[in-house]
Amino acid sequence: MTFAHLNRRVHLYLGLALLPWFFMYGISSIPFAHTPFFDARDAARKLPLWTLRMDRPIDMDVPGPEAPVTEQRAFGAALLSAAGIEGTSFGVYRQSDSQINVYSYSFWNSAQLKYFIPEKRFTVEDRRFRWDHFLTGMHARGGFENESALARSWSIVVDLVSVAMIVWIASGLYMWWGLPGHRRWGWIAILAGTMSFLVFTWRL
Amino acid sequence: MYLALFLFPWMLMYALSTLVMNHRAYFVERYGTGAIPFEAERAITYDGVFTENADLRTISQQILASLDLDGAHSVNHRKDGSIVINRNDLTTPRRLTYSPTDRTVVIERMVHRPNAFLERFHRRRGYAAGYRLDTIWAVSVDLVIVAMVFWVASGLWMWWEMKVTRRLGLSALILGAATFGFYLMTL
Repeated sequence: MTFAHLNRRVHLYLGLALLPWFFMYGISSIPFAHTPFFDARDAARKLPLWTLRMDRPIDMDVPGPEAPVTEQRAFGAALLSAAGIEGTSFGVYRQSDSQINVYSYSFWNSAQLKYFIPEKRFTVEDRRFRWDHFLTGMHARGGFENESALARSWSIVVDLVSVAMIVWIASGLYMWWGLPGHRRWGWIAILAGTMSFLVFTWRL
Repeated sequence: MYLALFLFPWMLMYALSTLVMNHRAYFVERYGTGAIPFEAERAITYDGVFTENADLRTISQQILASLDLDGAHSVNHRKDGSIVINRNDLTTPRRLTYSPTDRTVVIERMVHRPNAFLERFHRRRGYAAGYRLDTIWAVSVDLVIVAMVFWVASGLWMWWEMKVTRRLGLSALILGAATFGFYLMTL
């Protein structure tokens, strides 16, 4: 097997294996790029985005603003457990001195929990399902903050897709160079793209 | 092929910025939590005159244009009466604070961090900025979206045309689709 052959096969099989992710990142970029359109379309339905599921008192040990991330996440996990939400990814955010928010997220369901420190009370609100949020949620999913092995394995795939994109660029350039008949127009495309991109970098 | 050659800088930027965003925890550990700080660049006395009843947007555009910094920005009023303009420059975001009482403009620039630069690039999109170059950028982002969907379709077609790769290709395709489906059901 020659290097050119190996290069073509890597380009192809990597592309086929990661095709669902590549397609998802393409399609899910539409609601990101056209957020006002999707928001206006949804607003016309006049449906509330959040629905209150629970509002009850609870006395919890609240970590301070400077507490380590592990303590903040332990608080978030305890609050989620009190709400009967298990196994989702989540983030903990100190909204103000008197309020901590915990966002629970899966591809299909999302909820926000608000803990009101002085009142020792918390609320749970469910977010209505929206296809554009489903897509943008999938697009934005990543990071290694969540403890779940499954969530982390998704983030490893995100890394793999990113590296694969660099491999596709390099292997694509190599394949193009192997076609002498396309070099002239190829150079024009590369130069036009690079120049445009540099102008955007410089002027935006 | 030519579309891919033209758009390769965009794809490279999206790949690198995704890696950076996926490993945000590393950068938080390195730089700490909280907003990226600004550092003083210069302070000037602003001599310009605003028209009567000029709105915030008109004022911010006039100040930015006079400093040769016009471009996508947001603007708001502080309680003390000063006007804060956040110029969303890709390479060097700036904060300009105009105090009407003493007519000074304090210009600060955001401390440079490579991860933040890539993240700004990744997130730059939309047609609402009101500047021609931003609109052209938004069109280029739409072009990348169309290209990605086109590459999926054309890639499948090219693979299917190569009979020798069908068996292994189908295995790769099924493995990928099954893994993706599994994540869809469980995450």
